[in-house]
Amino acid sequence: MFDLANLALLGPWLVLSLGIMATMLVSSIRIETRLPAKIVTIITLVLVMITSIGLFSEGTKTVLNGYIEISKLSCMTLFFMSGISLMFVVGSGGYLNKEKIHISDYYNLLLLMVFGASILVSAKDLFVMFIALEVMSLPAYALVGFRRNDSRSNEAAIKYFILGGALGAIFLMGTSFIFGASGSTQLAQIFEWSKGYNGDLLLFVVGHLLVLFAFLFKVAAAPFHFWKPDVYEGAPVSVTGLMATVITTAAFVVLVRLFHLVDFQSTTFAPYLESLKQLIRVVAVMSLVGGSTVLILQKNLKRMLAYSSINHTGYLLLGLLGTLSKPDQIYSIWFYLAGYSIITCGLFLMLSQSTTTNDQGLELVDLTGLMKKNPYFATVLSIFFLSMVGMPFTVGFFTKYTVFMSSISAGEVGFVVIAAICAVIGAYGYLRPIALMVMRDPDPSSASFVGTKFNQAMIIILAALCIILGIFPQALIQLTKGLELIP
Amino acid sequence: MENNQELTALLILPLLGSLLSWFIPKASQRLYALLVSFLQLATGIYIASHANFTKGGGLEQTLPWLSDLGIQLQLRLDSTSVWFVLLSGFVSFVVLGLKGSWYRKQARLFTSLSFFLIFAMNTAFLSTNLIVFYLAYEAVFIPMILMVGIWGTNAKATSVFRFFLMSFFGSILMLVSIFYLSYLSFLKTGNLSTNLDDLMKLSADSNISLSLCFVGFLLAFAIKVPLFPFHGWLKEVYVNAPTPATIWMSSLLSKLGVFGFIRFIGPLFMPTFVEYQGVLLALAAFSVIYAAFLAIQEKNPKSLLAYSSISHLGFVMLGVFSLSDAGRTSAIVLSVSHGLTSAVLFYLYDLIEVRKEGISMDRYSGMARQYPILFVCLFIGVLASLSLPGTFNFVGEFLVMLHAYPVSALCTILSGIGVILGSVYMLKFYQRIGFGKSEEMTSTADIHGFDLIVVMVILAIIIYFGFQPSIFLGGVDNV
Repeated sequence: MFDLANLALLGPWLVLSLGIMATMLVSSIRIETRLPAKIVTIITLVLVMITSIGLFSEGTKTVLNGYIEISKLSCMTLFFMSGISLMFVVGSGGYLNKEKIHISDYYNLLLLMVFGASILVSAKDLFVMFIALEVMSLPAYALVGFRRNDSRSNEAAIKYFILGGALGAIFLMGTSFIFGASGSTQLAQIFEWSKGYNGDLLLFVVGHLLVLFAFLFKVAAAPFHFWKPDVYEGAPVSVTGLMATVITTAAFVVLVRLFHLVDFQSTTFAPYLESLKQLIRVVAVMSLVGGSTVLILQKNLKRMLAYSSINHTGYLLLGLLGTLSKPDQIYSIWFYLAGYSIITCGLFLMLSQSTTTNDQGLELVDLTGLMKKNPYFATVLSIFFLSMVGMPFTVGFFTKYTVFMSSISAGEVGFVVIAAICAVIGAYGYLRPIALMVMRDPDPSSASFVGTKFNQAMIIILAALCIILGIFPQALIQLTKGLELIP
Repeated sequence: MENNQELTALLILPLLGSLLSWFIPKASQRLYALLVSFLQLATGIYIASHANFTKGGGLEQTLPWLSDLGIQLQLRLDSTSVWFVLLSGFVSFVVLGLKGSWYRKQARLFTSLSFFLIFAMNTAFLSTNLIVFYLAYEAVFIPMILMVGIWGTNAKATSVFRFFLMSFFGSILMLVSIFYLSYLSFLKTGNLSTNLDDLMKLSADSNISLSLCFVGFLLAFAIKVPLFPFHGWLKEVYVNAPTPATIWMSSLLSKLGVFGFIRFIGPLFMPTFVEYQGVLLALAAFSVIYAAFLAIQEKNPKSLLAYSSISHLGFVMLGVFSLSDAGRTSAIVLSVSHGLTSAVLFYLYDLIEVRKEGISMDRYSGMARQYPILFVCLFIGVLASLSLPGTFNFVGEFLVMLHAYPVSALCTILSGIGVILGSVYMLKFYQRIGFGKSEEMTSTADIHGFDLIVVMVILAIIIYFGFQPSIFLGGVDNV
């Protein structure tokens, strides 16, 4: 069924596709002229933000035969992802120039990636999810390997590509099992099927677990995390930032959807819920403990942030654990994703502005004495790191607050205690750079930060957001409480 | 409880002070800090003098903040918190008058951090919402750590880390306990609340075991006080911190732990508290003696003062753990007196350090002849610290022992030995730096001007309350 009203509902995706084509055209003229591509990208992302806000009030609708869902959740995620991408596009020009990879293809690939992510968060069909996953991942592989002359960048791209391809295959295999069990690949129909089903679960469970593993891989929950540090380290900083924010957000939204694939109220699936919870517990504890302990051993900042993101995945899974028994706590996950993305975006934009003589990338010791050398950068960087710790008056506190609350309300007190101890361990890791910046005198080998005007503006906005949301989080909490997960 | 809209002034004033300090020229930062902190103290006295604290009375104010998460900004000034708020106002005024490297290097940052610290401390002392209390309790770290890190001496980084991680460990377990409590109250009443008054009802329910939550709170506050065996962070931080931070820590931050025991652990977990009373009393008594022995063998005068602080706080905890109203009152009295005494001792010690710049602390000696007035003041401070009758400390320690004796005679007697040991190390401390052979004669002047006035005022208060504790007790007695 196709009519013009449906076309309007697809606004953000149409805008994105047009933007992708436009950047492609622009880059075909001359690859070094990047300004037109950049402008087109910025306009596209702004338009996506506007159109997704427009759709926000539409309520829940499905278009394209139920393959794509327009809901508050998908619109909000889309708005948020394009906002973060916009920050990166505006803020990382200086870095790309410095690395000599500032060509218009970068913007084309970036838009493609956002396009894939945007379909992923609104897909209501396992096959659409797979296609969206590939549309999102393929440009990401290319972006990771964008520093062509750097062997580590190439290594990261190959690693990411092979593992990404493998997980795509695993996902497809899981899909086929689920299809075999339930007779459908549409999420809504699978949910309906599960309500009345009371036969053998084995086929479905195998399929479901495979599908889940694929996405646990994508969000890099331990023990599926080993690709992450290498990829983070090798990729250009702005790409790492995009991966940590846009791809993580999209993948986690899908993961939450997949966890709520069947109706756990039905008697057939109730025992399965218990084993699923057990699975999340194991994965969450491994991510929390592994992420936080390895985090404090790292010397390279990007690797440190990779382990930090594994640690944060653990917190998110803790929130997810709560939502499986208390569905009204699901806002904690959205809130956490939003807060975490803001912090991470700020951190990576900061890192992209460093100049270091070290060719291993920015090491922790390079931050020595930054407070004396460059108080502005040191202060902002400290704000981001304190947010990561979860200090009061930063957004990081309330993100932790909501997920802890979520799993406590599901009765998981022991796991919250483990998470709390991991927070202390992680705090040591995040405070080390602050201590180096504030308490030491600068030495000549330490890095210096030179931000472009745009970059500084973006960073200040993000740091301000960190603090404002740390004092007045109501607005965002209200917003995220309105985002329901529709089966 | 009386509703009062003025309580927020105690929070807004330091917060404004913290923000506005960035617009004040560097040269007049000290003047500005003194002015604002005096205003703060005056506001505190004004508000306190208009309230009636008898029979559980006081002032209350509720502001909406995060009602979605069950958090409200609930402030309460009652007979417990009023003394801590006033102490914080007074000590801050004293501290900010102290001249030193902090007013030469990054002075704006120092003033700003100081007022932020006061803001956080006042929030912690006033709030009856557990989450707001936790927020403030954590927020205290930020200025403290930065102060030690920026203006501290040699081994500051390691000491700050140990301090932060130990404290953070305790307080995050407290946070989890707060969550659990509010979850329990949600189960019981269907209302997600983190307000003290709502959560207090939980302990009445004998079906619920709160001992794990109790441990969470206990760790947080015991590390902060610190109570043996959680005192590991203290010495290094006290020694390496700049004097304002040391005074703040010994006079006020440790009291935050004491306050937590009185305000939160008591009402929330009374049945569990009673269960563990014996162990806790023993720990408090052991703290007193152990720290006293450590102080006796200590060569470095600043470390000696740090250990003496642990010893005195053991006394305070003894009062708290006697679990009677009278014991609690005496613990508050001793808290205030210890706050004043340790402030004056560290203050004077800083004046000595300034006069002997470049000389290792271990080699201080024979200075009484050179700075007679300073050392007379120090002598009065030392006497106050070893609780000579007629000083404020004597009142506090006497009352504590009086009220702890019926509960546990053994622990009280053991702590009594701590008083004797106290005079050993304090007199040794005075003898070492005051008398003996003077090595170098420097031409710096004796104590004078602002410093002299401040020290005299504190000493006068200590002696006045030593003879007239009834005024003080009248206000606290009806907790």
